[in-house]
Amino acid sequence: MKPRGRSGAFLERLHEAWIELRENPGRSVLQALGVMLGVASVLGGFSISDSQRQQTERLFARLGGVDKLNVLPTDTVYDGKPGALQSANRGLTLQDATEGEELGREKAVNATSVQKDARARVRSEFADREHAVTGVGADFVALNGYEIEQGRGFSSHDLATGAPVAVLGVQAASVFFPTDPPEAIVGKPLRIGDVPVTVIGVFRERSFRFREDQENIMAWRNRIVAVPSGLVAARMTGDPYHRVDRVTFRIPDLAAMTDFSRELSSLVTGNHRLQSDFRLDDVAKRMEKRMSQGAVYNLIFMLSGILALLGGGMVNVNVQLASLKERVREVGVKMALGAPGSEIFKSFMTEALLLTLLGSVVGFALGILYAWGITRIIGVPLSLAPLSFLWAILLAAVFGFLFALYPALKASRQSPMEALRYE
Amino acid sequence: MRIIETRNLIKTYGGRHENDGNAVHALRGIDLDVEKGEMVALIGPSGSGKSTLMAILGCLDAPTGGSYTLDGRQVEGLAGAELAAIRNEKIGFVFQQYNLLPKATILRNVELPMLYAGVSRRERRERALDLLARVGLPDKVNVLPGALSGGQRQRVAIARALANRPALLLADEPTGALDSKTGQEVLDLFGELHAQGNTVVLVTHDPKIAALAERRVELRDGLLWDGEQREKAAA
Repeated sequence: MKPRGRSGAFLERLHEAWIELRENPGRSVLQALGVMLGVASVLGGFSISDSQRQQTERLFARLGGVDKLNVLPTDTVYDGKPGALQSANRGLTLQDATEGEELGREKAVNATSVQKDARARVRSEFADREHAVTGVGADFVALNGYEIEQGRGFSSHDLATGAPVAVLGVQAASVFFPTDPPEAIVGKPLRIGDVPVTVIGVFRERSFRFREDQENIMAWRNRIVAVPSGLVAARMTGDPYHRVDRVTFRIPDLAAMTDFSRELSSLVTGNHRLQSDFRLDDVAKRMEKRMSQGAVYNLIFMLSGILALLGGGMVNVNVQLASLKERVREVGVKMALGAPGSEIFKSFMTEALLLTLLGSVVGFALGILYAWGITRIIGVPLSLAPLSFLWAILLAAVFGFLFALYPALKASRQSPMEALRYE
Repeated sequence: MRIIETRNLIKTYGGRHENDGNAVHALRGIDLDVEKGEMVALIGPSGSGKSTLMAILGCLDAPTGGSYTLDGRQVEGLAGAELAAIRNEKIGFVFQQYNLLPKATILRNVELPMLYAGVSRRERRERALDLLARVGLPDKVNVLPGALSGGQRQRVAIARALANRPALLLADEPTGALDSKTGQEVLDLFGELHAQGNTVVLVTHDPKIAALAERRVELRDGLLWDGEQREKAAA
């Protein structure tokens, strides 16, 4: 007689395994404990580090995206007297920005931002203070994640002509116009240095907290007083060289970033008489670095999960071997009735499989609970990735399988006669 | 037709070589023939090699030497899986301690040999119910063995032994754990099965039980002790 219906045989074994587990709840729980803890540890750990990473991603998205390359001026002379070339340099200029944009046109640079900082006396009807003024150019607003809440943003005409207009962050607005509702601020006059400007808009409030109980790390962005960079250069600092404090390029294609940053570097170095008085800041790389810390945590969590699975696996082997003594006779009877060793092996493995599955389900629940608790404590929103579940169950399955092998082999290799005589 | 045919069957335990003094010679050359439909009682004192012979006849153990043919199949030299298949197909065991699986229902216990043989679910069920009815337990189908009396358990074991319509029913002290009344009932059942044409080998140390069989084979010190030898011993 040939065995028929393979899946039927599997279902029979599964049913028998279920009866075996159900009839020995204490032993089964003990055996599944390692799987539960391992799965919980891997899933929980991964989810916690995922949640952290998601939060970091959110931060960078709020900062205007990660696909940015910043060019910043630096000191050329750290010690001693500057050389002739160094003193002749004017630092980062508008020329660098426009030429860089030109260079990047083929490299998928789709936005350029220019920033020119100044400090000036800023006066309104209500306040008179020394305040930072940010001269902005080109795509500054979009590239830095600002949005207009009231009024309008800078038009290209404003930026090109250096028009005397200003857009305020909410905090700056409340400093200079404490009694006015935001919509009433638009159109109000403001005096920056000696230049009278008109407020044309207010930025939306910026806010980001890594954890719920931490301070708003974007608060400083609410203090911005933004004017066209041309206005700062022409009428405030009176700089004929159009020096700027930051140039930012956006390159959505991160693969092109490395190439572009190298070429940009040589372009700017050329413009600066071969002096390296600037630095490039690759935001994507910065984020990657932050993320790689997460990868280390993931590795640690996975290791601790593996340790739990290992410990649990050893307990499992012990329990299985101990229970095997009770079951020797049963195995002998099955063998006498014609079950080959392979059948005994399969039935033990099926039991282990079922145990691993059930343990994993409980482990999932424990892991979610664990990740939920920890993320609540550190105040980060919980994020569960399908991949974490996959990793957890994959590891559990591998260890469940490996540790089930030995008892199953041992059981299946018994001599039927000795097994039957076993008391 | 011959069901069992052994020639010079030898079983030796321990001992690293042929003439090792430490070796235990459990069987020392058994020639045994059992014809189809016979009921044979295998008797002998403990230590005579009875259990060893029973294990080898039941394909639970392999002989050290000699040949064994069961229902036309050469058995010696076969590997574990093949022996398992032969046990499944050709032999029905009845043990002294019943050896029912305690966590499986009566029905499942009887179905088990058919499960290993790959019989379809429906046929398994039908045959198991039929067998349980035959041994007089049609209403205990879904109970666990623990709920049955010793005699009932042995009936279930007999039903299980018959599941794959074996060529040989091998019973090892089947009444050893029963009182004389239920023991008699079980023996009657064996008689009935024999009358229906089943080949039965009954291992026992009880001469009264052995007397029920049409042929008795006595084992002493690993050798068959037939009438001829008995005369020689007397002389």
